[in-house]
Amino acid sequence: MATRFDQQKTKHQLFHVSLSLATTLICMAYMQYRRNWAHLGSFGDSLIVPIVFTGELLKVVLARFYGRIEDGVLTTKQRQKKAAYFTPRELLGGLTLQFLCTLLYAFICIILGAPVLANYEQTFVLSLLLTLLTVSPTVFLLGGGGALQVCFCEKPEFVTKCEDTALDLFKYNALGGILGAWAGSAVAPLDWGRDWQLYPIPNVIGALLGSALGNIYACTHVLYATARVYISKKSA
Amino acid sequence: MEANNKSRLTYTSYMLTFFLCGALLFLFGFFPASYSASEEDSSVPNVRPTSLHGLKIHPPPRSYQAFILFLIDALREDFVNASTMPVAHARACEKLTVHVDIPTVTMPRLKSITTGTLSNFIDIALNVGHTEQLHDSLLHRLKQHKANVSFAGDRTWVELFPSEFNRHSANNDSFFVNDFYKGDRNVTKVLGLELEKRDWTLLILHYLGLDHIGHVEGNKSPRVKDKLKEMDDALKNILDHKNITNYLLMLTGDHGMAEGGGHGGNTPYETLVPLYLFSSDCSKSTGGPKRYNQIDLAPTLAVLLSIEIPKMSIGCLIPEMLQSLSLEHQMYAYFYNAHHLLNRARVKFGHEKVKHSDYYHWYQNATLLHKKLLHSIRDRESTSNVHYQVAKLNYMRMAREISMLLSESLVKFDYGFIAIGLALTLSSSLHIVLSILFLDVTDQLQMDRLKARQLLLSLVIGVISNVVSHHLDLIITSSIMQSVLLVLPIGISIYLSIDVVQALLTIMLPPLYSRRLKLCIPLPLPLLICFAIRTFTLGSSSFIEREYKTWYYLGNTLLVLTSFKTLRRRITKTNVELDGRHLHKIASVCLWQQRKVFVVLILLTLMRYLYRLNVIKSTLMLFSLFLLWARLRKFNNLLQIVLNAVAFLLVFGFRVLNGDVDFYGLKSHIMARFIVPTLVLFWCCMAANILLGYRLALPQKNRDGVLNIKPQNVLLQLLQTNLSCSLVVASLLHKAQNVVLLPTMLITLDQTYKLCDVYCTSARKFTVRQVHVYKIIMTIFIARMFYFYQGNSNSLSTIDLTPGYIGQTNYNPIVVGIFVTLNTYCAEIHSFLYLIVHTLRTDLRSVGIIQLQPPYAVAADTLVMPMYAAMIMLPAAFYLCLMLGFRYHLFIYSVFSPKVLYDCYTVLVFYFVFVITSLYFKLFKRET
Repeated sequence: MATRFDQQKTKHQLFHVSLSLATTLICMAYMQYRRNWAHLGSFGDSLIVPIVFTGELLKVVLARFYGRIEDGVLTTKQRQKKAAYFTPRELLGGLTLQFLCTLLYAFICIILGAPVLANYEQTFVLSLLLTLLTVSPTVFLLGGGGALQVCFCEKPEFVTKCEDTALDLFKYNALGGILGAWAGSAVAPLDWGRDWQLYPIPNVIGALLGSALGNIYACTHVLYATARVYISKKSA
Repeated sequence: MEANNKSRLTYTSYMLTFFLCGALLFLFGFFPASYSASEEDSSVPNVRPTSLHGLKIHPPPRSYQAFILFLIDALREDFVNASTMPVAHARACEKLTVHVDIPTVTMPRLKSITTGTLSNFIDIALNVGHTEQLHDSLLHRLKQHKANVSFAGDRTWVELFPSEFNRHSANNDSFFVNDFYKGDRNVTKVLGLELEKRDWTLLILHYLGLDHIGHVEGNKSPRVKDKLKEMDDALKNILDHKNITNYLLMLTGDHGMAEGGGHGGNTPYETLVPLYLFSSDCSKSTGGPKRYNQIDLAPTLAVLLSIEIPKMSIGCLIPEMLQSLSLEHQMYAYFYNAHHLLNRARVKFGHEKVKHSDYYHWYQNATLLHKKLLHSIRDRESTSNVHYQVAKLNYMRMAREISMLLSESLVKFDYGFIAIGLALTLSSSLHIVLSILFLDVTDQLQMDRLKARQLLLSLVIGVISNVVSHHLDLIITSSIMQSVLLVLPIGISIYLSIDVVQALLTIMLPPLYSRRLKLCIPLPLPLLICFAIRTFTLGSSSFIEREYKTWYYLGNTLLVLTSFKTLRRRITKTNVELDGRHLHKIASVCLWQQRKVFVVLILLTLMRYLYRLNVIKSTLMLFSLFLLWARLRKFNNLLQIVLNAVAFLLVFGFRVLNGDVDFYGLKSHIMARFIVPTLVLFWCCMAANILLGYRLALPQKNRDGVLNIKPQNVLLQLLQTNLSCSLVVASLLHKAQNVVLLPTMLITLDQTYKLCDVYCTSARKFTVRQVHVYKIIMTIFIARMFYFYQGNSNSLSTIDLTPGYIGQTNYNPIVVGIFVTLNTYCAEIHSFLYLIVHTLRTDLRSVGIIQLQPPYAVAADTLVMPMYAAMIMLPAAFYLCLMLGFRYHLFIYSVFSPKVLYDCYTVLVFYFVFVITSLYFKLFKRET
């Protein structure tokens, strides 16, 4: 490979992945501690959403931390963008985007079979979790407008190298989360009569496990690349 | 590319025919219709035993003068209580519960009651229409003993026992479900006459009204209560009649009633029925609820009637019914039934095996005690109660054990037929799938043409294997004709398999010049995954029971996924032009462009709650009829539109007259008079509509007198007429609140097709075939979703029989069959027709594709119809394989078997629609 091995990037990636896995593990530990999973779908009683929120926030902080190193080599556009992150306009835009996204996920949940009039709290929690896993990290990192552009443009110029690394990993997280939540419904029709088969629980757990799997997949990629560089160095 | 565009309808219809033949053979093998015939001449003795270990014993005399079997069709266990049937509840000597075996349909149940044996699953099919006559039953034995038997009620009895009754008065037809009261009133009238005559030993009454009410109005109908009251009055009549002194009256049901009113399934509501016993002098027992099997009735009744137990009986005795007998006679009864069952077990399992079994030991034990007991009775010594109890216990547990073993052993598969059927279905469906996916191979191997040499070869192999398997007793047939005919399916399946193997080898082992064969149609991953999930979930019984959930989930997933992908592509495309500015405005504009898809998604969600819209069904029906009319406008000319409007008004009028929807509280006796004229008018409208449609298709003379044939349009015109007419008829057959499904389905299909067009044309690599593949699979999913929205399921109890009788005054199996099928499979039939019409109508100019080579409409018979057929056949073939693997599964008869009938019937319905449509293509398609 012509690309040079980037130690900083690999470190960032590995830290990022271990943060995600740690979040999932903490969630699992919390669920194990609570034993009864019936509360997983309630907003006030479950700690899953705050834990995931903190995890995602930490990832963004990590990206910022690694981003400081390359502060010197930014283009003007990137610099402008970076200065505009904390303006009220961007903040408001980001919040609106996340809110709309939550609504959208709730809509999809209902279309795919969630009860329309009952269980709206559970639907809300599930869609909040999905938003946190998919859209929120990007919004926290780039602001509302930036997130939209990342989603719909080929590759915006204002994204710095470090942000690009994080975005790449967010992608796995998001895909895994959505697929996991989708696949979680598979246990719903089974006649096992377990209490964890109730509506939001398999989907919430599926989303967490899915994002963990996505991260593990990303992790293997990173490790594979590292190992190849290492081996080629040795043979050379 | 020339070859790719030739019509493949003939080939597909052959494959479908082969598939159906294979499925039929498989079903014959899986549900052998006459397993009892082979055991008929077995060596179970026909007479009652007269000695026990050298001691002479005598069968007890008839214990009552009169026996009355009071059978109420679909009498569910919880129907009889102190408030609904006060007399029955208060005066019953014994209240027992009887467990009914599946299938919970009338004819197999009557067989169980009279012969004491279990019936086959396939009896359901025979339940409608043809009935095989029995050779041995309680009634045959009674006739031999010259006892009088009278009957009133359901016609099925007379068909089962044409000459066993001394007098019978049956209903005209048992399947005319709109008759709630007339038939039952006749039965009660006959009952009065019979009570006056009093020359019979056994009187059988079979009331059908309750079952009919359940079928038409459901188990919560207020009429159920009235009906039960009526039954209670009839019962009171008998109990209080002066001619009746020493009697035994049994009140029971042949099967229960499911939640919703149907029956045929395996829920406790259907399989548990009450058995109430009434007799002149009885001590009311206070024991807890006891449960027996329905097959136990036959041997018990035989003992009480003092006749032989029917040869096929495998039931036990019901001790509660024997209370009136003396001790010696009771012991005789237990001994006789045990003896009978032991003989049956000997015939079934062989002497050696029986000798070394537990139950034989129990039997020995019991007979010894029995003998001791008899000695003490005859010597007028005090009898030991312990001996009696132990002997009884041993007899009973032995009978129960053998009964269980025998009923398990009734399951018998004919592996020869199963193998042939499976080979035929699998090879034909794989053949068609391969020939669609790999056109090159198809051409190379000439898979869609008949190859005489290969056919000859496979026929020869077929003959040889047929002879060999007959010699090895792998295949057993009843006549030489059948054996000869079997060569045909064997030969065909070998022929097809050779093709399939060749094709697979060609695909797997690429030729030396390393040219790998490619799929000739694109198979997008999400569609493939959803289809695979849909196929593989057939392996789980809970997924089959709740199959609707799978379809709703996958169908909506596909729609959501496609619409979001389209949205993203649209936004990205616009965004590239605008270079990243005003992104949120672009997003909202694109979202607005797709609003209709979201409306459709919301509609689909609403349809799930259709059953709750019962309250507003009259408004809803009017509205949906209007919508449907508006939808059909584009298929019709002006006169037809007017006719359709009249027809729809008549449909609404019919529902009003029928009392299904409210409309200014008209009086019912006036309304009933107008029903028939309304329907006659409706059918006149339909006929005129068809005439108009077909007249346009005929070659017409212009003003100049020149024959003017519009070749391309004729086919489309005819298909459109067919589609719109059958939709109008379907709106007549549908339940009032289900009518809304018809326009919704059309809207959904329309929007989905538009979405598919936009999605596929916005892809980087556009192929027409991808559009087709998307549309076909989406259509299958949507059709299935609407099929389940309608209230169908994989249980036989949800088949709605009411539409079969609209405008009918008697039972005509063909008309009822067509109507019920058209109503049940409405979604599947019409979505297929709509897809074909859509394919013929569409040009892709609306989405910006101007030049298309080959033209879009050509694919209708080259790709769309064959692929649709393959997509229908493949899961069905897979399911047949699963059935073979699951043949000893616990739920094989309750869950998997109804599903296999449904699946095969779905293919059959599709086959008919396909053949008719292809006929139109053959007759009217002109090459341009």
